Amino acid sequence: MRFLRRALVALGLASLIAGVLRLRGSGGTPPQGGGWRELQGPDLR
Amino acid sequence: MRIAVLGAGAVGARAVRQLASSPEVAAVTVADADPKRAASTCDSIDEPGRVTSRPVTPAWAEGADVAVLAAPVDHRAEAERLLEAGIAVVSGADGLDDVRGLVALDAEAAERGLAVVVGAGFCPGLSDVLAAHAAATFDRVDEIHVSRRGTGGPACARQHHRALAGEALEWRDGAWVRRRAGSGRELAWFPDPVGAADCYRAAVPDALLLTAAFPSATRVSARVAATRRDRLTAHLPMLRPPHRETGLGALRVEVRGRRGAGRDVVVLGAIDRPAVAAGAVAALAAVAVARGEVAAGARGLAGSVEPVPFLAELARRGIKAAAFVGSATGG
Repeated sequence: MRFLRRALVALGLASLIAGVLRLRGSGGTPPQGGGWRELQGPDLR
Repeated sequence: MRIAVLGAGAVGARAVRQLASSPEVAAVTVADADPKRAASTCDSIDEPGRVTSRPVTPAWAEGADVAVLAAPVDHRAEAERLLEAGIAVVSGADGLDDVRGLVALDAEAAERGLAVVVGAGFCPGLSDVLAAHAAATFDRVDEIHVSRRGTGGPACARQHHRALAGEALEWRDGAWVRRRAGSGRELAWFPDPVGAADCYRAAVPDALLLTAAFPSATRVSARVAATRRDRLTAHLPMLRPPHRETGLGALRVEVRGRRGAGRDVVVLGAIDRPAVAAGAVAALAAVAVARGEVAAGARGLAGSVEPVPFLAELARRGIKAAAFVGSATGG
């Protein structure tokens, strides 16, 4: 019974951690410097 | 030229409108599973002799030079029927299986001397043209990474939902790598005013089409923007019916390559309502096919059209691309 309880607690914890990791993700792109400019004129010739 | 459109939804109706505003198109017919919707699309354009509706029967595209598929049907099966009838195809398919099936028609289409343009929409579609435009500035393309935010009509929203629960395909060092959709978060910076959004791997067909168009590329990936709720509920049925259409969507296409002895990065993007842009892209692709500018075979837009005139015509119709100037990855 105790073993089953521990297994259930472990499973619950693992699911919780997996859920948090899935929602939070990891990594990411560093901030950018610069800006967007419309393609026009010479860009489209 | 005569063009038939299957679907009068968010994308199909826009494609019909764009075709109607192209002087070289002599006749446009639109067919939809809901005949009232097809008729109201024609009524809104009010060119009775030139833009007409038809019921969806096996002969919905009869007499057309090019058929545009803008409905959630089996695109591969429909394209096969159209090829047998001697009609070229422009498909707005954005599902991985649909696109895979259409690309497999390449030999048959080439044999029949007909073009099948695959993924002529916002993403894939406009994203492929932007990739081709950026790629033209390099001697050799090494990497292409596409990110997308926003969806068109309900069918596109359903596809977005499915894509986050499937398996993503990435081209990595000359081999296909399967990754879990919804993984691989990256913060992508889209043109203003959309700005930054978290994007994730998804079961989308962009890498499939871009790898075929740019064989030198060793890495090709595609991501879609998603919220936490999108990711959490991706494996469930959609909890509520999809919206009719979202607001602004955005694209970001990053191409890395070699120019002379050096390496460089070009980042292009676009913002618009995805269904509006997709309709315009599909219409321009159909006109290009009808003009005979697209070689026979089945491929994506990057290998089908000349990017500069295509983007110039899109800009003339109000769908404008942008280039990122500055450091693309910060430092």
